[in-house]
Amino acid sequence: MRDTTTVGDELTTDTQTAGAPSASKHAKPAKKEREASLWSDAMGDLRRNPVFIIGAVLVLFLLVLAAVPGLFTSGSPFDATACKLQDSLKTPSSSHWFGYDIQGCDVYTRTVWAARNSVIVGITTTTLVLLVGSGLGLIAGWVGGFVDSVLSRFTEIFFAIPVLLGGMLIMSGLQGNAWTVSVVLATLGWPQIFRIMRSSVLQNKNNDYVMAARALGAGTWRITVRHILPNAVAPVIVVGAISLGVYISAEAALSYLGIGVQPPGISWGLMVSDASVRWLQAPHVLLFPAAALSVTVLAFIMVGDAVRDALDPKLR
Amino acid sequence: MRGATHAKWAACAVAVTLAATACGGGSDSGGDGGAGIVSSSWGDPQNPLEPANTNEVQGGKVLDMLFRGLKRYDPKTGEAKDMVAEKIETTDSQNFTITLKDGWKFSNDEPVTAQSFVDAWNYGADVRNKQNNAPFFSDIVGYDDLHPKSGDPKTKTMSGLVVKDPKTFTVALKEKFSTWPETLGYQAFSPLPKSFFTDHAGWLNKPVGNGPYTVDSYTKGTGMKLRAWDAYPGTDKAQNGGVDLKVYTDNNTAYTDLISGNLDLVDDVPAQQLKSVQNDLGDRYINQPALIIQTLTFPLYDPQWGKEGMEKVRRGISRAINRDEITKQIFRDTRTPAKDWTSPALGEQGGFSATACGDACVYDPAEAKKLIQEGGGLPGGKVTLTSNVDTGSHREWMDAVCNSINNALGEGPVCTVNPIGTFADFRNQQSGFKLTGPFRSGWQADYPLIQNFLEPLYYTGASSNYGKFSNPEFDKLVDQANQESDAAKATATFQDAEKILAEQMPSIPLWYQNGSAGYSERISDVTLNQFSVPVYDQIKVS
Repeated sequence: MRDTTTVGDELTTDTQTAGAPSASKHAKPAKKEREASLWSDAMGDLRRNPVFIIGAVLVLFLLVLAAVPGLFTSGSPFDATACKLQDSLKTPSSSHWFGYDIQGCDVYTRTVWAARNSVIVGITTTTLVLLVGSGLGLIAGWVGGFVDSVLSRFTEIFFAIPVLLGGMLIMSGLQGNAWTVSVVLATLGWPQIFRIMRSSVLQNKNNDYVMAARALGAGTWRITVRHILPNAVAPVIVVGAISLGVYISAEAALSYLGIGVQPPGISWGLMVSDASVRWLQAPHVLLFPAAALSVTVLAFIMVGDAVRDALDPKLR
Repeated sequence: MRGATHAKWAACAVAVTLAATACGGGSDSGGDGGAGIVSSSWGDPQNPLEPANTNEVQGGKVLDMLFRGLKRYDPKTGEAKDMVAEKIETTDSQNFTITLKDGWKFSNDEPVTAQSFVDAWNYGADVRNKQNNAPFFSDIVGYDDLHPKSGDPKTKTMSGLVVKDPKTFTVALKEKFSTWPETLGYQAFSPLPKSFFTDHAGWLNKPVGNGPYTVDSYTKGTGMKLRAWDAYPGTDKAQNGGVDLKVYTDNNTAYTDLISGNLDLVDDVPAQQLKSVQNDLGDRYINQPALIIQTLTFPLYDPQWGKEGMEKVRRGISRAINRDEITKQIFRDTRTPAKDWTSPALGEQGGFSATACGDACVYDPAEAKKLIQEGGGLPGGKVTLTSNVDTGSHREWMDAVCNSINNALGEGPVCTVNPIGTFADFRNQQSGFKLTGPFRSGWQADYPLIQNFLEPLYYTGASSNYGKFSNPEFDKLVDQANQESDAAKATATFQDAEKILAEQMPSIPLWYQNGSAGYSERISDVTLNQFSVPVYDQIKVS
């Protein structure tokens, strides 16, 4: 899959090289005699990875679906007169590809519109987790001492709570929608990123080039941005990309249990839950949203996996 | 108020639970328990088989075979006919003299006397015996002494029951209640033999009654074998040799056994099988309304729903609900669209009327829109339906009702659903009068009487009047009906009262819940009574 003869192969494994982050600047103009950097190398790597390409196309498609579902269907699940009970449980036909659910609502329309909540939860949760986790991780790593101890113990408390179980507990007392689900999942999901960030800072802050930068008069902010973050960002992005898919499935699980997104909001988890009662009688009502959910989670995990391979060849 | 005041809601919930989990893995022997023996699905009774303690279907099945009371509801017409009673006389609709027929005895040869009834009723009413059906005796003078709200009673008998001679006893009621004799068909009023009191544990292991069957053997968790009692003195002798009740924990297993010929009778056909039931059984499938009605009750204590003129809006909402489509699509015809506030299981004679609700229960979007506009529109432009969603398919039918209303009115999502996670929470909000929109009410009648469908639910201040409906005219008619000594006239007066409900629409009748049963080719003459229990004694085995 990956061209192991790439020039920069050896270099990329050494993410601690001082010049690595800035190398990308030099890499751009020299196309033929490309100087390898972590990022340019990773990009090249990804472009040649079919797993990434398939995943990325699917993700892109999903983003469009979530942003403008109207492009793909003329109906809307929020139209109060869209569902006609006489269509109840009708099987797929040429005009209604996914058939109808028990209430006589078009399954295709609902499946398309439900993508939005999944994408919102995936992206919002991941963003929040990255922000909170890396922010606190940076502080803990840099400041050290007492602050580090307090933050680390605090993190361990959250780390000990299983995401789904904790999510069920908190959600049962909240009004469920995509945003509350995101916040709850993020509340329980950030410790992982915190740990990666903190260890990355600890690893790097005593390196010679950091010392040198400090000796040259660089401030804490500059050192963080120029030297610490670039070295920590790769593993954080990898974990973030993979967990995006996991958060989407967590939302579906919560909604399936009736404590995630609430009607009239729509979610694949909710659709599967509604259809599961009579899935032997009308399997299509269950299969289409379930398939949509599986493909979405798969797409995000494929992308995350490929990014990890590209950024962190050590893992292969 | 009169009639039963106990929590029928809870009983209903229990019934649903039982239906869902009913019955246990009996897969022994097969359908042919012997010549003339009917094998039937069963579930372990919830309570010991004391007549005054049994308020669910599984125990009720056995009691219906083991006991005959003063009256018995005709399985076909629902009419309360004299059984052990020779005559029940009254001059004032409050004091009754009951005379027993000659020749009745228990299967242990003990004669059925007035004392058998009085002892049984006192036992049922005594708070120390913790009988579920105790409230059935609450109309009798002295009940409050035997069943005080707190503390131990100082007496062992109700002063309203007096034995005159072995064949006669008198009953004094607290208030006038003309149709009280009609309630005596309920199993709680069964007579009990002396052995019930002297050897209680032994009796529970092998109950002895005065009905057409005797208990041959009973193993908890497995089943019960009942055999026809040859010396049964009544006119409704068993038409078969006996009944083997087999415990199933899953009705689907029972149904499979029926199809494969290992079982003769399954009552309560599981929902999952409904799609193929016509194919499997054809006309050996019974599906008929039970004494259960589902309604949407309006919170009339909330002025935005209760104020003058809102009755038009309430009627309008009723007309926006497509009952036919919902019972067909959501319930697969296991519900029957409602046409009044009682149940067809009462029979026309008992007070059911297919025209009581009239147009107000017929789906008509245009008329619905017009009525709601004339009444000043929905309060705040919207309506929210509330129910617990942990059992039944409450969420689904509420969504369907809302869709129907939204489709009919065409004003966007004006109807929404407020799902409540647990039955207990819903009950609290309902009995605390906290709900601000129409809410689900299910009502299972204890005896096939129109009184039981109207008075506890709509009489001012009645125990289950959760919408706080109050109408002097309605109350007056109910009082009048209760004082009426002629049963037919009483029923007609109740129906007059029901007409006020049709005008005022304090609750929207939605549908009647059906009882169902399927049976094998071996047996015939299978019918369900008003309580959706098979009438075993009439079943013939070929």
